[in-house]
Formats: sequence, structure tokens, C-alpha cells
Amino acid sequence: MTMLRLYLLLFRASVRSRMQYKLNFLLSSGLAAFINLMEFLLIAIILQRFGDIKGWSLYEIGYLYSVLLLSRAIYRILASDVHHIEKYLVGGELDQLLTRPIPVLLALMTQNVTILLGEVIQGTVLLVLCFQGLLAAGQIGWLAIPQTALVILAGSVILFAIGLLSATAGFWLTRVRDLQNITEDAARNAAQYPLVLYPGWLRMILLTLVPVGFANYVPALYILRGEYGPWLLLVSTAAAVLLLWVSFRFWRLGLSRYQSAGS
Amino acid sequence: MLFAVLARKAYARNLQYRGSHLLNTIASSLFGFVYVSIWIGVGDNRTLGEYGVDGMVSYVAFNQACLWLTVFLTNGLGLETAVRSGQVSLDLMRPVHLFYVLMSREWGQLLYQLLYKVVPIYLLYVLALGIRMPERPVTWLWTILALALASYLSICIQYLIGVCALWTTESRWLVWVNIALSQLLSGFLIPLEWLPGWLQTVSRATFYPFLQYMPTRIYLEMEGPNVLAGTIGWCLVMTVLCLGITRLVRRKVEVQGG
Amino acid sequence: MIEVKHISKRFRTPLVPEGRFAGVRALFSRKYKEKVAVDDISFCIGQGEFVGYIGPNGAGKSTTIKMLTGILHPSTGEVAIGGRSPHRDRRHVVRGLGVVFGQRTQLWWDLPTRDSYDILAAMYKLRERDKARKLAEMNDLLGLGEFMDTPVRKLSLGQRMRADLAAALLHDPAILFLDEPTIGLDVIAKKNIRGFLKTINRELGKTILLTTHDMDDIEELCQRVMVINHGRLAYDGSIPDLRSRIGLPTVIRVSFREPLPERLETDGAPFSIAGRNGLELTLQCNRQDIPAMDVLRHVSQWGEIADVHMEEPAFEEIIHKVY
Repeated sequence: MTMLRLYLLLFRASVRSRMQYKLNFLLSSGLAAFINLMEFLLIAIILQRFGDIKGWSLYEIGYLYSVLLLSRAIYRILASDVHHIEKYLVGGELDQLLTRPIPVLLALMTQNVTILLGEVIQGTVLLVLCFQGLLAAGQIGWLAIPQTALVILAGSVILFAIGLLSATAGFWLTRVRDLQNITEDAARNAAQYPLVLYPGWLRMILLTLVPVGFANYVPALYILRGEYGPWLLLVSTAAAVLLLWVSFRFWRLGLSRYQSAGS
Repeated sequence: MLFAVLARKAYARNLQYRGSHLLNTIASSLFGFVYVSIWIGVGDNRTLGEYGVDGMVSYVAFNQACLWLTVFLTNGLGLETAVRSGQVSLDLMRPVHLFYVLMSREWGQLLYQLLYKVVPIYLLYVLALGIRMPERPVTWLWTILALALASYLSICIQYLIGVCALWTTESRWLVWVNIALSQLLSGFLIPLEWLPGWLQTVSRATFYPFLQYMPTRIYLEMEGPNVLAGTIGWCLVMTVLCLGITRLVRRKVEVQGG
Repeated sequence: MIEVKHISKRFRTPLVPEGRFAGVRALFSRKYKEKVAVDDISFCIGQGEFVGYIGPNGAGKSTTIKMLTGILHPSTGEVAIGGRSPHRDRRHVVRGLGVVFGQRTQLWWDLPTRDSYDILAAMYKLRERDKARKLAEMNDLLGLGEFMDTPVRKLSLGQRMRADLAAALLHDPAILFLDEPTIGLDVIAKKNIRGFLKTINRELGKTILLTTHDMDDIEELCQRVMVINHGRLAYDGSIPDLRSRIGLPTVIRVSFREPLPERLETDGAPFSIAGRNGLELTLQCNRQDIPAMDVLRHVSQWGEIADVHMEEPAFEEIIHKVY
């Protein structure tokens, strides 16, 4: 409980620092939204022209896309500098966090918090549009809304865990940006689209090695198409919990190795 | 010769990071793989016009490989950093043109990216996806020429972006706008003729098609060397712009001291 | 307070292969070079001591400090701070430590200075009353009031150091680790910081371990110095002891009223003539062996003395000798 209070305090302080640069904040928010919009526009144009991709409609792909976008936004807002650990390892700033009487991860999560307003707005708008379309077509019922909320939360935990695992690799590699490029950026890019598109080996990777598939595709199979059964939601929540546990263990291992090996 | 020295240094600077760049190359080829998969999925029960599924796979894969020559250059040619550190006034003092110095350096960077990113990704796609190769040898010549001109065009664009830092100190956001626009307008994922009409008009009014769409069409032997005239035209326009803006920069730095 | 028993720290750095595809092979290479940063160091620091910890760059100073603060774990040996190990009990131990790194701040860069204290108070679970009392006390000593509401990034270097010191002391730690707290400061700011450190050591009884490259800091503040070089403790003792152990000579310059004889005999007295320039003589002696007055008495036989100038060996030179 005290941890949560401390987290909120540090989080608020960090946001306040950021808000010193309001123009910068608004500009980068607007820009992020613009870039994401372009990206989605591309796939929307293809779907507009050809109708569907392997049976997945524009609404369905928009759903996959926006759910993942929102999950990622939550992860990156609540645990911002976990992704930027390289800076701390290279510049030695991690040592400073270690002199504080709080867990290092907590300190790292609350450094330079950025409110990704652009992503949140764009993701929400897109999700609402897709919901309307899918509800109007009778493909989903109102129950899908709370289910989706659960999926987004579980998804943010999954993305956080993958991010933490990649960041922890930095204790061995120091330069970790390029690894994150694969485990976070490339993997997320792939999971924005239905995994049926990919050959077996890639689908396998996205469900085991870098299991982003559980963040949106797996639960969407049930929510949007009623395939398999509601236990799919359970599977992705379980995957989230399991990954979180593994990533915490790995983080602790990495930190102790940092302290015993130094760099 | 200054050009060779600058280019060689920029090339050599990159060599020490080859290891971590390898991971980056893997990531980049994965991105392309996703785009290829999308088109295979679209072509599941359709013919995809003059390209065919095969042609679209080659189109997208070749585009992805070329990104490191035509889009992903040094952000603003490093001008933003130079402005922040004040280095730029020093650079302007030297008896060589700023644009020439930065351009020479960038060619070294591009040579490195060609050898360590573009070629590996291309070969990977040839092996894994069996993408099309030109039938006539002369096509290679035109393709290389088209890509070289596209690289030059891109250097000019980055220079203009970098120069903006002198007025705004931040020009990173322009880099992002450029990447986003080029994704949409260069025909990177969707051939221009399949864009909605208004977007096609916008695209054809810009230089973006000459960065990706045209070189790739030449490579696929769907376009002859005559389209290079357009590239050359844009290169001339951009060169004049770059030289002109450098004069403004010089005046600004001289008057306000950077 | 601080007990260090035979700690060593070895780093392994991967060897970078040479030749073709070196970068790629480096990813898979398992060859390492071992470097001993700290080699079997032991010492004890008691309550209220003010200890200088000096050594050239790369000697192992900051590695030692990192092991004392729990940032790094020793490869072998034990550290105990107030009876607890910072290795096994980091969060508990750092609660009783104040740490200042002169090169970087622990304050929140973009926020008013006051906010940093609020955050730190929450981190260390201080009660509102204790925080206010401590801040008032720090304000008396450091004059924080003038910049309490200024964002940290706008503080001058001297102000920032004062703010950082206050931050390190907010939770009333018994031990303070200072890593180059006067680096880059002007003479007046340095003097203020030294005065402050003296006060909290003498009057508040804080135990302080100071690393610095500024020998004036050490000479003015520390009762005890530890010199580390190549990872080993080269000296541990008081400054006067260090001086006499190295035995750098005291230099005495004497000018005479009249020309001196050609031959000057020291008659076996333990001093020497280092230079002679017209009416001026430069003499060297070790004050352990002979008092300066005796030297002067001796040379007054050679002629009437007009003026005397004496130079103690500079502390900096002593240190160079130890390195």
C-alpha cells in the first residue's frame, strides 16, 4: 500500500516536470497521433479497396490495432523509463537510483513519465468506431465492452512484462535498444494484424518467444468471432500473470548480476 | 579529397557498431515480412492487377530493403545536434560549403547502410521469399541510378529538415512527419495507382514517389529509364533550395551569432 | 559505524575480437579480461570521523563508494554499515546514508527545489513535523530560502550543491558519502560548502567520507586520509603523519645583507643548500630532523640575515609522492 502511494507521488511529480514544457507536450502528442493515423490509414486503404484480408474485415483489424495501441499506451505511461534503461546503464544514472530506499524498478517506472495523449485519443476513437460498426452488424454484443476492457488491461501487463524482460537483458548487453527493436517494435507491428496472415514459424514466435499475440489476437478470436470459447480470455489473463511473474524474477536476477558484476 | 575523407570516416564510425546493427537489420526485415504477409493475405483469392501476388511481394520486399537508402538517413543530417551544441557556427566558419560537408558525410553513412543493411535484407528476401530479379541486365543499371538519385534527394530533404533547427531548435518532429508522409505518399506499402484519387493527386505533386515507387517499378521492369527525368528534375529543385537556404542560415548565424 | 573487511572487486570485460566480422563475433564471444578494481581493502570508520578518500582517477575510489552504498556487491569480503550489510539489506542501509555525487544531482530537474524535498521526505517516510524542522535547520546553515521555489535546472552550480547537500541530509542520516562536492565551484562557494561540512561534522556529529581531487578540501576538513592507488590502500592515517612519512623537505629562503663566503660548511647539520643566487640562499631541511630555528642559527654564522621566507611542502606534492 505504501508502495502504491509512493508510486503515485513520484508519478505525479514526474508529470508535473513534464508539464513545464506544455507546447512540447501538445506538439508531440499531436504528432504521435498523426503518425499512428498514417500507419493505420495505409491498412485502411488496402481494406477499403479489397474488402477483407483472409476474412478479417476493416472493423476487426481496427479492433486488433486499437486494442494493442491502448495497451501499449498504458504500459508506456505507467512504466515509462523501463523502456529507456539503456540511457541509465550507459550514463551510470542507475547507480543514483540505487542509493534511494525504494525498489529500483519503482524509481525507473516513475522517471520522465510521458502522458501519451495522442495514442490514447487515437486508440479510443478508433476502438469506439470499430465497436459501433461491429455492434451495428450484430457481430458482437454489449458484453464485448467489459471483456475488451479486461483484454486491454491484460495486454498492457503482457507488453510491460515483455518490455521489462528486454530491459533486463540490458544488464548483460548494456546496449539494448536494438533488441527492443525486435521484441517491442517489430513484434508489436506484427501483432497489429491478424496472426493468420503469417507463416507458422512467425505465428509460433508471436505466441511463445515474444507472446504479444495474447494481448489482442487470441482474445479477439473469441470476442469478435466466437471461436473456441470464453476460456480464451482466461488464457490471455493467465499469460499476463505468468509473464509478469517471470519478468519480475528475471529483473531481480539481472539487478543482482549488475550489482555483482558491475560494468 | 574532402568528399572521400568525410565519407570514409562516416563509414568507419559505423563499423564498430556492426554487432548491434545486426539485430536492427533483423528487426527491419521482420517489419518487411509483416507487410509482405499482408499482401499475401490480400491476394489469397484475388489477382492483384498488373503485379499479381508474386509481383506485390517483390514490390513490398524491395521497398523495405531500400528504406535504408531512401528514408532512414541521419536525422536532419545531424544538424539539430550541431545547433544545440553550438557546433554549427564552427562548421559555418570552415572554408567549405556546409551542405557539401554534410552530404559527403552522409554518403559514407549510406554506403555503410547499403552494405550492412540493404544488401543483407535484399538477399534474405531473395532467398526466403524468392522475390523477382530483373530479366535484362541493364535494368540493374537503371535501378542503381534511380536509387542513387533517390538517396541524394533524401539527403536534400534531411538537410532542409536539419536546417529548421536553427529557427526552432527542435526539428525531430519534422523527421517524424517526413517518415509518416513518406510511408503514405511514396507508395511504400501501396502502389500509387491503388491510393484513393485525391491522395494520388497529392502524392504525384510531391517528390515522394521518386523515393520508393519509381525505383521499385524500374527494378520490376514496369517502368523505363525515362521516369528518371522526374527524379533528376526534383534533385535540381532541391539542390537549389538547399543552397539558397544555406545563405539564409549564414546570414542568421552572422547576425544573431547562432 | 563503517566496517570494511578485505573487500575486493573484480570486473570482467569482454574481449573484443579483431578482424573480419568482429562485431558479429563479439556477440557470441565468451572471452573476458579480468580487471581488479579494488584489491583487498580493509578499514574502519568510527562515529563522527571526517575521512578523506583520495587517489588518482581509476584507482578504485568510486568502486569502493559504490560497494559501501550497496550499488555494487563486493566480489569477496564484507561491508557492514551500522552492523548491516548494504549488499543483503540495501534498502534498510541506504535509509541511514546520505549520498551526494558532485557531478550529478539527485533533485528533480524541472521542479521547484521545494518539491524535491517533499518527494524525498515521502521516500524516506519522514513525518511532516520532522521534515519542516530539518528544512529549517538546513535553511539556517545553507540559506535555501532564496531558491526554494526555483526549478532546479535554473540554479547556479553553487546553489545546486547546497540544495543537494540539504537533500542528502533531509532524512537525518548518520553517515554521509560525498563524491567531489566542490567540483567546478568558485572559491567563495567552495568556502561556504567547506564551512557547512565542518559544522555538520563537529556540531551534528555526522560521520563523513569525502572523495575529492581538491587537496584543500582534505587539508581543511579531514582528520584522517586514506589514499588508494591501483585498487590498494596505500596510506591510512592523519595528515601530519602522512607528511612526515613522505618526508618532503621544508624549503627556507634566506637573504643576507652582505656577500657570503665562497665556501659554506654545514658542519654535519641535517640540512642542505639547494641553491645560491647572489645574496640569497635556498635551504632544504626536514623538520623532523632539525627545527627551523636551529638552521637559521647555523646560517647566521655566515653573515647578517636580512629576510627569511619559509615554505611548507604543499599537500598536493605529498600526495603525488604516495601515488
